[in-house]
Amino acid sequence: MKKLYVVAALLALVGLADALYLTIEHVTGQSVRCTIISGCSAVLSSPYAVVAGIPLAALGAAAYFTVFSLAILTIFGYPRVALVLRGMVITMFAVSVWLIYLQAFVIREFCQYCLLSALITTALLVVVMINRGVRG
Amino acid sequence: MKRILPFIIILVVLGVALGSAWYLTRTIPASPALGSQSPSTSQTPSSQGSPGAQQQKPPVVQGVPGADPPHVLGPADAPIKIEEFGDFECPPCGIFHPILEQMHQEFGDKMQITFREFPLVPTHQHALAAASAAEAAGLQGKFWEMHDLIYDHQNDWKKEFDVRPIFEGYAKQIGVDIERYNRDMNGDLVAQRIFADGKRGHSLGVKGTPTVFMNGREVPFENLPAEKLRVVIQNELRK
Repeated sequence: MKKLYVVAALLALVGLADALYLTIEHVTGQSVRCTIISGCSAVLSSPYAVVAGIPLAALGAAAYFTVFSLAILTIFGYPRVALVLRGMVITMFAVSVWLIYLQAFVIREFCQYCLLSALITTALLVVVMINRGVRG
Repeated sequence: MKRILPFIIILVVLGVALGSAWYLTRTIPASPALGSQSPSTSQTPSSQGSPGAQQQKPPVVQGVPGADPPHVLGPADAPIKIEEFGDFECPPCGIFHPILEQMHQEFGDKMQITFREFPLVPTHQHALAAASAAEAAGLQGKFWEMHDLIYDHQNDWKKEFDVRPIFEGYAKQIGVDIERYNRDMNGDLVAQRIFADGKRGHSLGVKGTPTVFMNGREVPFENLPAEKLRVVIQNELRK
């Protein structure tokens, strides 16, 4: 089921681009301004956007890069990596659910790019779970 | 070769990601939060990126006319003409509001301020209602009173489900005819004024709020904190 890992790698690349964009917005402070296309101002300037001094978006970028690397290694037949990949994606999905909760009920603002990231993580979860089902 | 190929792919992606991030963080100017007035902020005119060092001066822009007559504070012959495109629900606009008030107090008759409506719909769900409330009050000559109240209480209303009763309360507070205010809130004239200001903003290349023009040139967003804006105005006055 290499094809599904290729899909996972591609999804991770999209997630990486999204998280990098958010990181740059955060680091350069562009998120401070309100814009027509982005509703991220309130979300990225909230205290939840930083964990231990590190922008959450940067941690997301690192996570997507890790998922990409693990998917590539699995495609090339490295053993036991798929298990780590599955654990990583499940963790990311749990974090995404928490972040959606924060946006909906605590910050009460939604950032489109954060929602895109949650969508990608959900798709990744579906892909790795289908793979698990196929492999039995 | 097959054993090392995945690592080459991973390293290439890592390189592209880090390279893109490095390039973009260098090309996008850092924008400090408007409210941050850290004393460590460089004020030396020769320092890179300081408001005094306007090496890449933005061009003077004309654009299409906005709502007529515009909402103006200050004398027509003031040497400093500020035109702000604002969204009442935008937090940075709320932060910029007292900064502009402070500048107006400091520079007095040397400054003229024009406010243009630029509600970011649908990003801000109440922005259009807020703009309509201010414009409806403006039709009774109370625009600035309403403008100040809406900005001053931004945190009180922006999380509410229905803001219209809140704005109506502000309208009563400033003493406008409520029946006419409610009629105007939903009237064509208010809608046309907001549309005209938005059209002007788009013709000037406004993409976000607050966007501020001084004597026809856009003031970079990073120069909007009070201590930087003051220097920008002082430099303009010296010309």
